[in-house]
Amino acid sequence: MTEAFLIVVRILLLCLLGYWGFRLWGGTRSWTSRAVSGLCIVVLVWQVVGGRF
Amino acid sequence: MTKFRTLWWLEYRRSRVWAAALLGSLVFWAWGLEQVPYAMPEERFGIRAGLLGAGAIVGVVVLAFMIGRVRSETRQGQYQILLLTPPSGYLHVLARFAFALSVGIVYAVAIGALLWWAAARAGLHLDPASAAQLLLVCPLYGAGIAMAPLLAWTLLLMVLASAYRISGTAWIPGTVMVAATPFILRFLGERLSYVLYTLPGWRLFANLEAVLAKAKVEGTSEALHAGIVLPQEPLWGMLALAVAMLVLAGRIWQEVEA
Repeated sequence: MTEAFLIVVRILLLCLLGYWGFRLWGGTRSWTSRAVSGLCIVVLVWQVVGGRF
Repeated sequence: MTKFRTLWWLEYRRSRVWAAALLGSLVFWAWGLEQVPYAMPEERFGIRAGLLGAGAIVGVVVLAFMIGRVRSETRQGQYQILLLTPPSGYLHVLARFAFALSVGIVYAVAIGALLWWAAARAGLHLDPASAAQLLLVCPLYGAGIAMAPLLAWTLLLMVLASAYRISGTAWIPGTVMVAATPFILRFLGERLSYVLYTLPGWRLFANLEAVLAKAKVEGTSEALHAGIVLPQEPLWGMLALAVAMLVLAGRIWQEVEA
Protein backbone atom coordinates (compact mmCIF):
# COMPACT_ATOMS: atom_id res chain seq x y z
CA MET A 1 0.00 0.00 0.00
CA THR A 2 2.69 2.47 1.03
CA GLU A 3 4.93 1.39 -1.82
CA ALA A 4 2.13 1.80 -4.34
CA PHE A 5 1.38 5.24 -2.94
CA LEU A 6 5.05 6.24 -3.27
CA ILE A 7 5.14 5.01 -6.85
CA VAL A 8 2.11 7.15 -7.69
CA VAL A 9 3.71 10.17 -5.98
CA ARG A 10 6.90 9.63 -7.94
CA ILE A 11 5.03 9.36 -11.22
CA LEU A 12 3.14 12.58 -10.45
CA LEU A 13 6.38 14.34 -9.53
CA LEU A 14 7.99 13.16 -12.78
CA CYS A 15 5.01 14.52 -14.72
CA LEU A 16 5.33 17.86 -12.93
CA LEU A 17 9.08 18.01 -13.57
CA GLY A 18 8.54 17.09 -17.21
CA TYR A 19 6.00 19.89 -17.59
CA TRP A 20 8.32 22.36 -15.86
CA GLY A 21 11.20 21.23 -18.07
CA PHE A 22 9.05 21.92 -21.13
CA ARG A 23 8.12 25.39 -19.84
CA LEU A 24 11.72 26.16 -18.92
CA TRP A 25 12.98 25.14 -22.35
CA GLY A 26 10.57 27.39 -24.19
CA GLY A 27 10.37 30.24 -21.66
CA THR A 28 13.62 31.94 -22.59
CA ARG A 29 15.99 32.46 -25.50
CA SER A 30 19.07 32.17 -23.28
CA TRP A 31 20.87 28.85 -23.78
CA THR A 32 22.76 29.17 -20.50
CA SER A 33 19.48 29.59 -18.64
CA ARG A 34 18.17 26.47 -20.34
CA ALA A 35 21.32 24.59 -19.34
CA VAL A 36 21.16 25.69 -15.68
CA SER A 37 17.43 24.97 -15.45
CA GLY A 38 17.95 21.64 -17.21
CA LEU A 39 20.67 20.66 -14.76
CA CYS A 40 18.35 21.41 -11.84
CA ILE A 41 15.53 19.41 -13.45
CA VAL A 42 17.90 16.46 -14.07
CA VAL A 43 19.05 16.54 -10.44
CA LEU A 44 15.44 16.52 -9.21
CA VAL A 45 14.47 13.70 -11.58
CA TRP A 46 17.51 11.75 -10.40
CA GLN A 47 16.37 12.23 -6.81
CA VAL A 48 12.78 11.24 -7.57
CA VAL A 49 13.79 8.11 -9.45
CA GLY A 50 16.68 6.86 -7.36
CA GLY A 51 17.08 9.30 -4.51
CA ARG A 52 17.40 8.63 -0.81
CA PHE A 53 14.65 10.87 0.46
CA MET B 1 38.57 49.58 -15.36
CA THR B 2 36.57 52.79 -15.76
CA LYS B 3 33.46 50.73 -16.51
CA PHE B 4 34.02 48.66 -13.38
CA ARG B 5 34.46 51.80 -11.30
CA THR B 6 31.22 53.20 -12.71
CA LEU B 7 29.39 49.99 -11.86
CA TRP B 8 30.97 49.96 -8.40
CA TRP B 9 29.69 53.51 -7.87
CA LEU B 10 26.29 52.33 -9.09
CA GLU B 11 26.34 49.52 -6.55
CA TYR B 12 27.35 51.95 -3.84
CA ARG B 13 24.52 54.32 -4.73
CA ARG B 14 21.99 51.53 -4.87
CA SER B 15 23.02 49.54 -1.81
CA ARG B 16 24.57 52.09 0.54
CA VAL B 17 21.52 52.18 2.81
CA TRP B 18 21.61 48.39 3.14
CA ALA B 19 25.37 48.41 3.74
CA ALA B 20 25.14 51.21 6.31
CA ALA B 21 22.27 49.45 8.09
CA LEU B 22 24.22 46.19 8.17
CA LEU B 23 27.39 47.78 9.50
CA GLY B 24 25.30 49.87 11.92
CA SER B 25 23.75 46.67 13.26
CA LEU B 26 27.17 45.89 14.75
CA VAL B 27 26.38 48.52 17.39
CA PHE B 28 23.28 46.51 18.27
CA TRP B 29 25.31 43.30 18.58
CA ALA B 30 27.93 45.09 20.72
CA TRP B 31 25.13 46.38 22.94
CA GLY B 32 23.68 42.85 23.07
CA LEU B 33 27.02 41.46 24.23
CA GLU B 34 27.04 43.94 27.09
CA GLN B 35 23.57 42.78 28.20
CA VAL B 36 24.63 39.18 28.83
CA PRO B 37 23.80 38.59 32.51
CA TYR B 38 26.49 37.89 35.03
CA ALA B 39 27.52 34.24 35.11
CA MET B 40 30.69 32.20 34.99
CA PRO B 41 33.17 33.82 32.54
CA GLU B 42 33.18 30.69 30.36
CA GLU B 43 29.39 30.66 30.17
CA ARG B 44 29.31 34.37 29.42
CA PHE B 45 31.84 33.87 26.64
CA GLY B 46 29.80 30.99 25.25
CA ILE B 47 26.62 33.09 25.19
CA ARG B 48 28.47 35.99 23.58
CA ALA B 49 30.03 33.70 20.95
CA GLY B 50 26.55 32.35 20.21
CA LEU B 51 25.18 35.89 19.84
CA LEU B 52 27.98 36.75 17.44
CA GLY B 53 27.27 33.56 15.47
CA ALA B 54 23.66 34.69 15.15
CA GLY B 55 24.93 38.12 14.07
CA ALA B 56 27.07 36.53 11.36
CA ILE B 57 24.11 34.51 10.03
CA VAL B 58 21.84 37.57 10.01
CA GLY B 59 24.55 39.53 8.19
CA VAL B 60 24.88 36.93 5.43
CA VAL B 61 21.09 36.80 4.98
CA VAL B 62 20.87 40.60 4.73
CA LEU B 63 23.69 40.61 2.17
CA ALA B 64 21.89 37.93 0.17
CA PHE B 65 18.76 40.11 0.07
CA MET B 66 20.89 43.10 -0.88
CA ILE B 67 22.57 41.36 -3.80
CA GLY B 68 19.37 39.69 -4.98
CA ARG B 69 17.46 42.82 -5.95
CA VAL B 70 17.88 42.37 -9.68
CA ARG B 71 14.48 42.20 -11.28
CA SER B 72 12.84 45.37 -9.96
CA GLU B 73 15.92 47.44 -10.72
CA THR B 74 16.41 46.35 -14.30
CA ARG B 75 12.84 47.14 -15.29
CA GLN B 76 11.52 49.89 -13.05
CA GLY B 77 14.62 50.98 -11.19
CA GLN B 78 16.31 54.33 -11.14
CA TYR B 79 19.36 53.00 -12.99
CA GLN B 80 17.72 50.89 -15.66
CA ILE B 81 19.36 52.78 -18.54
CA LEU B 82 22.83 52.28 -17.06
CA LEU B 83 22.05 48.65 -16.29
CA LEU B 84 21.16 47.91 -19.89
CA THR B 85 24.06 49.71 -21.57
CA PRO B 86 27.47 48.63 -22.92
CA PRO B 87 29.40 47.08 -19.97
CA SER B 88 29.27 43.31 -20.32
CA GLY B 89 27.07 41.12 -18.17
CA TYR B 90 30.16 39.66 -16.51
CA LEU B 91 31.20 43.12 -15.34
CA HIS B 92 27.73 43.88 -13.97
CA VAL B 93 27.72 40.64 -12.02
CA LEU B 94 31.30 41.08 -10.84
CA ALA B 95 30.70 44.63 -9.58
CA ARG B 96 27.56 43.62 -7.73
CA PHE B 97 29.26 40.59 -6.18
CA ALA B 98 32.47 42.45 -5.30
CA PHE B 99 30.59 45.26 -3.53
CA ALA B 100 28.47 42.86 -1.46
CA LEU B 101 31.48 40.68 -0.62
CA SER B 102 33.52 43.73 0.45
CA VAL B 103 30.75 44.85 2.80
CA GLY B 104 30.49 41.28 4.08
CA ILE B 105 34.22 41.02 4.75
CA VAL B 106 34.22 44.30 6.70
CA TYR B 107 31.24 42.99 8.68
CA ALA B 108 32.95 39.63 9.33
CA VAL B 109 36.18 41.30 10.49
CA ALA B 110 34.13 43.44 12.88
CA ILE B 111 32.42 40.29 14.21
CA GLY B 112 35.90 38.80 14.72
CA ALA B 113 36.94 41.94 16.62
CA LEU B 114 33.88 41.65 18.88
CA LEU B 115 34.72 37.99 19.50
CA TRP B 116 38.27 38.99 20.40
CA TRP B 117 36.86 41.56 22.84
CA ALA B 118 34.52 38.95 24.35
CA ALA B 119 37.42 36.51 24.71
CA ALA B 120 39.51 39.16 26.46
CA ARG B 121 36.62 39.88 28.82
CA ALA B 122 36.51 36.15 29.64
CA GLY B 123 40.21 36.19 30.51
CA LEU B 124 41.37 34.59 27.25
CA HIS B 125 44.19 36.90 26.21
CA LEU B 126 45.39 35.90 22.76
CA ASP B 127 48.93 36.53 21.54
CA PRO B 128 49.33 38.84 18.48
CA ALA B 129 49.50 35.94 15.99
CA SER B 130 46.32 34.35 17.34
CA ALA B 131 44.56 37.72 17.47
CA ALA B 132 45.48 38.35 13.82
CA GLN B 133 44.14 34.92 12.94
CA LEU B 134 40.87 35.66 14.75
CA LEU B 135 40.57 39.07 13.12
CA LEU B 136 41.63 38.22 9.57
CA VAL B 137 42.07 34.52 8.82
CA CYS B 138 38.81 33.30 10.37
CA PRO B 139 36.61 36.01 8.75
CA LEU B 140 38.26 35.53 5.36
CA TYR B 141 37.94 31.76 5.61
CA GLY B 142 34.29 32.12 6.57
CA ALA B 143 33.73 34.57 3.72
CA GLY B 144 35.32 32.17 1.25
CA ILE B 145 33.58 29.04 2.44
CA ALA B 146 30.07 30.39 3.09
CA MET B 147 29.53 34.02 2.16
CA ALA B 148 30.97 34.03 -1.38
CA PRO B 149 29.11 30.87 -2.54
CA LEU B 150 25.84 32.05 -1.00
CA LEU B 151 26.05 35.49 -2.61
CA ALA B 152 26.99 33.97 -5.97
CA TRP B 153 24.12 31.48 -5.66
CA THR B 154 21.64 34.28 -4.88
CA LEU B 155 22.88 36.28 -7.84
CA LEU B 156 22.58 33.27 -10.17
CA LEU B 157 19.09 32.52 -8.83
CA MET B 158 17.82 36.05 -9.43
CA VAL B 159 19.46 36.40 -12.85
CA LEU B 160 18.08 33.00 -13.88
CA ALA B 161 14.58 33.98 -12.75
CA SER B 162 14.93 37.29 -14.63
CA ALA B 163 15.73 35.38 -17.83
CA TYR B 164 12.16 34.04 -17.76
CA ARG B 165 10.34 37.27 -16.92
CA ILE B 166 9.09 37.85 -20.49
CA SER B 167 7.33 34.48 -20.56
CA GLY B 168 5.95 35.11 -17.06
CA THR B 169 7.34 31.86 -15.65
CA ALA B 170 10.07 33.26 -13.40
CA TRP B 171 8.77 31.32 -10.41
CA ILE B 172 9.48 27.95 -12.10
CA PRO B 173 13.29 28.30 -12.44
CA GLY B 174 13.38 29.82 -8.95
CA THR B 175 11.49 26.88 -7.46
CA VAL B 176 13.50 24.30 -9.41
CA MET B 177 16.86 25.81 -8.46
CA VAL B 178 15.96 26.20 -4.77
CA ALA B 179 14.71 22.59 -4.68
CA ALA B 180 17.75 21.14 -6.48
CA THR B 181 20.41 23.06 -4.55
CA PRO B 182 20.44 20.89 -1.36
CA PHE B 183 20.98 17.74 -3.46
CA ILE B 184 23.78 19.36 -5.48
CA LEU B 185 25.37 20.61 -2.26
CA ARG B 186 25.15 17.17 -0.67
CA PHE B 187 26.76 15.64 -3.75
CA LEU B 188 29.59 18.20 -3.70
CA GLY B 189 29.98 17.90 0.08
CA GLU B 190 30.44 14.15 -0.15
CA ARG B 191 33.07 14.56 -2.89
CA LEU B 192 34.86 17.21 -0.84
CA SER B 193 34.84 15.03 2.28
CA TYR B 194 36.78 12.33 0.38
CA VAL B 195 39.70 14.69 -0.19
CA LEU B 196 39.57 16.49 3.15
CA TYR B 197 43.06 17.15 4.61
CA THR B 198 44.79 15.85 1.48
CA LEU B 199 46.54 19.21 1.41
CA PRO B 200 48.21 20.41 4.59
CA GLY B 201 45.74 22.15 6.90
CA TRP B 202 46.17 25.62 8.38
CA ARG B 203 46.91 25.48 12.09
CA LEU B 204 45.34 28.35 14.02
CA PHE B 205 45.62 29.43 17.65
CA ALA B 206 48.75 27.35 18.20
CA ASN B 207 49.13 28.43 21.81
CA LEU B 208 45.50 27.90 22.73
CA GLU B 209 46.49 25.39 25.40
CA ALA B 210 48.61 27.98 27.21
CA VAL B 211 45.87 30.59 26.92
CA LEU B 212 43.27 28.19 28.34
CA ALA B 213 45.60 27.10 31.15
CA LYS B 214 46.31 30.73 32.04
CA ALA B 215 42.61 31.50 32.14
CA LYS B 216 42.03 28.32 34.19
CA VAL B 217 39.35 27.13 31.80
CA GLU B 218 38.28 23.56 32.48
CA GLY B 219 36.14 21.11 30.61
CA THR B 220 37.33 21.94 27.08
CA SER B 221 37.95 19.13 24.63
CA GLU B 222 41.41 17.68 24.14
CA ALA B 223 41.29 18.52 20.43
CA LEU B 224 41.04 22.23 21.21
CA HIS B 225 44.23 22.20 23.26
CA ALA B 226 46.35 21.43 20.19
CA GLY B 227 44.85 24.39 18.32
CA ILE B 228 42.46 24.30 15.38
CA VAL B 229 43.45 22.91 11.98
CA LEU B 230 41.42 24.33 9.10
CA PRO B 231 41.28 22.19 5.93
CA GLN B 232 42.13 23.95 2.67
CA GLU B 233 40.00 21.85 0.34
CA PRO B 234 36.53 23.19 1.31
CA LEU B 235 37.78 26.76 0.80
CA TRP B 236 39.15 26.12 -2.69
CA GLY B 237 36.14 23.97 -3.60
CA MET B 238 33.58 26.56 -2.52
CA LEU B 239 35.53 29.42 -4.14
CA ALA B 240 35.62 27.45 -7.41
CA LEU B 241 31.88 26.87 -7.09
CA ALA B 242 31.29 30.60 -6.49
CA VAL B 243 33.36 31.53 -9.55
CA ALA B 244 31.46 29.00 -11.69
CA MET B 245 28.10 30.43 -10.54
CA LEU B 246 29.28 33.99 -11.23
CA VAL B 247 30.40 33.05 -14.74
CA LEU B 248 27.01 31.44 -15.40
CA ALA B 249 25.17 34.49 -14.01
CA GLY B 250 27.29 36.81 -16.15
CA ARG B 251 26.68 34.68 -19.23
CA ILE B 252 22.90 34.71 -18.64
CA TRP B 253 22.93 38.48 -18.11
CA GLN B 254 24.87 38.82 -21.36
CA GLU B 255 22.42 36.66 -23.29
CA VAL B 256 19.26 38.21 -21.84
CA GLU B 257 20.11 41.90 -21.52
CA ALA B 258 22.52 42.33 -24.44
